[in-house]
Amino acid sequence: MSQMKQGFWAIVRREMLRMTSRRLYGLSMFAAPLFCFIFFTTLMNEGLPQSLPAGVVDEDNTTVSRSILRNLDSYQQTEIIKQYASFAEAREAMQRNEIYGFFYIPKGTELKASSQQQPTISIYTNATYLIPSSLLYRDMKTMAVMASAAVGREILIAKGANMDQAMGFLQPIQMDMHPLGNPWLNYNVYLSNTMLPAVLALMILMVTCFSIHTELKDGTAGEWLFMADDNILKAVSAKLFPQTMVFSLMAAIYLVLLYGYLGFPAHNGFWPMLLAAELLILASQGFAVFIASAIPSLRWSLSLCTLWGVLSIPISGFSFPVMGMPAPLQALSYLFPLRYYFLIYVDQALNGIPMAYSAWFYTALLLFCILPLVDISLLRKAAHEYTYLP
Amino acid sequence: MWVKDLLDVTGKELRKTVSDVGVLVFFIIVPLLYPLLYAYLYGGEVVREVPVVAVDDCRSTTSREFLRKSDATPDLKIVSYCADMEEARNVLHNHKAYGIIQIPSEFESTLTDGRQATVNLYCDMSGLLYYKALLSGCTMVSLDMNRDIQMVRLSGMSDREKEVMTMPIENEYVTMFNPANGFQAFLIPAVLILVLQQTLVLGVAMMAGTEHERRRKGELILGNEYSNPITVLAGKALAYLLVYGFTATYVLCLVPWFFNMPQLWQLPTLVAFIVPFLLASIFFAISISFFVKDRESCFLLFVFISVPLIFMSGISWPTSNMPAFWKAFAQIFPSTHAVNGFARINTAGALLQDVRYESIALWIQTAVYFMTSLFIYERLYRSDKMPGADFANAMRSRMYKELREAEIDLKVIRRKLKSKL
Repeated sequence: MSQMKQGFWAIVRREMLRMTSRRLYGLSMFAAPLFCFIFFTTLMNEGLPQSLPAGVVDEDNTTVSRSILRNLDSYQQTEIIKQYASFAEAREAMQRNEIYGFFYIPKGTELKASSQQQPTISIYTNATYLIPSSLLYRDMKTMAVMASAAVGREILIAKGANMDQAMGFLQPIQMDMHPLGNPWLNYNVYLSNTMLPAVLALMILMVTCFSIHTELKDGTAGEWLFMADDNILKAVSAKLFPQTMVFSLMAAIYLVLLYGYLGFPAHNGFWPMLLAAELLILASQGFAVFIASAIPSLRWSLSLCTLWGVLSIPISGFSFPVMGMPAPLQALSYLFPLRYYFLIYVDQALNGIPMAYSAWFYTALLLFCILPLVDISLLRKAAHEYTYLP
Repeated sequence: MWVKDLLDVTGKELRKTVSDVGVLVFFIIVPLLYPLLYAYLYGGEVVREVPVVAVDDCRSTTSREFLRKSDATPDLKIVSYCADMEEARNVLHNHKAYGIIQIPSEFESTLTDGRQATVNLYCDMSGLLYYKALLSGCTMVSLDMNRDIQMVRLSGMSDREKEVMTMPIENEYVTMFNPANGFQAFLIPAVLILVLQQTLVLGVAMMAGTEHERRRKGELILGNEYSNPITVLAGKALAYLLVYGFTATYVLCLVPWFFNMPQLWQLPTLVAFIVPFLLASIFFAISISFFVKDRESCFLLFVFISVPLIFMSGISWPTSNMPAFWKAFAQIFPSTHAVNGFARINTAGALLQDVRYESIALWIQTAVYFMTSLFIYERLYRSDKMPGADFANAMRSRMYKELREAEIDLKVIRRKLKSKL
């Protein structure tokens, strides 16, 4: 055998060869994240769902009921696709998933309204599908209140009030809502900003753990450590360096996609988010090395890394807030790098507040990066003595 | 005998499953614990007592009443009263609150004049549930106060007259099938189905990976015992179906029951729907498991896809608003149809005829994926039974043995070298 080259760059070159010699690495480091980037951003390109299919049951069939329905259909987010003859029919249509909700106007609505008997109209939505259900509710509720106000306004104007007075009477206090940072209530902004880094972080956790333990499994760990002069820190950092580069490229791709191409709000500019993404990559790698060192079994450490990566999506709190979770899980959320990335994104991109407010979150990510220092010596030992158990 | 062969394969596959801890984790442990974790996570259904700050520029009886009543709603909790917006924003920046209720100084005078007064709400958009809580909490208070104000203005009428006057047409809202209108009842059915499909894929892929490794090393030759690939395929599928009969019962029936979630299914419908789902998933898993070259790569290849899959099902972002391409792409996964069908059977009490489209799709998938897996099996068998395959295998296993020995030698040499230095 010829003289084996040693040193940092020799390991880097060796790792690049390993990465290119197996399709698995290309798939999991490049293709998988890219697929998810494209998937999520194109899936929700409408931003806020438009023309959600809804139905009506109009048992009254009068001028009042028809004007309610006509108005409802003119809303952007609601589309009345069908009239049903009875409540049961509409409910069955909902169970078949043809509509997400329906309006029910019972017989005698107009008659009761004009004779001042206060009739009731009902809104039904299928809350099995939470998002369309909530959005339909908003439109239908507004419509119902407006229908009522229209009748009330007519009574008032008949009694001699002007329009201003009528509105001041019908709705003395009104709400003016200002959604900060995302005034369009855009779901793409709301979900993709965390979903894309979440998938990337998941792949980083798995690839890092897999690539380290494969050395042990295939019996190449001896060679690897020998090249690093038996210095495990050097061995690991040189091995992970080319991977960090590939992941950084992926992070740059999604950042440009989100804040450049799609023009999502990034109120403090590009750099704080790039820093956060870089730190997320290093933190995920650090966490994976920590686990890989602590558990000297490819399958178990990979299982734990996978669990961590998948669980970080709900527990980061971007869809269901952490404050709504049970206390033990709230405490657990501190152990997920993605949680800190999400908090940084809220501060830096969505709300655009000074970086000092997010200092702790950046620091926490940094701590994940140096986490392996705790137990990396175990990995060195394992690399020397390890035997693979399936 | 055909049946005997089939049962023989089934028995062997079951034994292989039980003796492989890695596979057991996927088939038993993950389905056992993971749904519990998720259901526990979303157990709160909604967020309560969202911390907000109040900026009362009016400082009147009415404005104080508004804030007091907002604080009293289950949705909101006023954590601080600030002197101005600057101070309020500072509280938000320090992550102590997620919204601001600002009452302008002319609030009460406008009301006294009989004109429309405005309350300003500012909401942190990091979570849509904060927005929902702030809006619904304050709307509730304003509706309540509006009626009171109207009642006072209408003095001289009877109570009933006032009520009719203020709300000529009453409305009511019914969130069907998800009484708390919360996260658990909406997301968990999708998670449960996905856990079943993904653990099947991972477990089957891990076994296939192991098999592939052994074939590569010449330790395993297919097609020696059973001449017919259909028997082997059917036998394996039967084994997985037996295991997943239990797993699915636990995941789909017991887990929702533990957490008191809506369960409106009827047994014949549920069974008639879940069996094709399991079959489709099994053959889907077998089909894609051929791409797995070693034991552990299934993690890297198949785990991440769960995340897009949950969105493809349309449980979150509505199917009616998906781009056509993704709608079509989603059709190839059993989970897409199963999530939609199961969510409606379980949560909305749909019957088999209501989920006809989904169940037909699952049967078609079962047929298609059975054919693809059979096709790949045939090819594997043929390659293992080619003339000279025995010889090639013997060579391969010898090569691996020698490679191992050389590695051990290398280790010894290195150790010696090191002790010399």
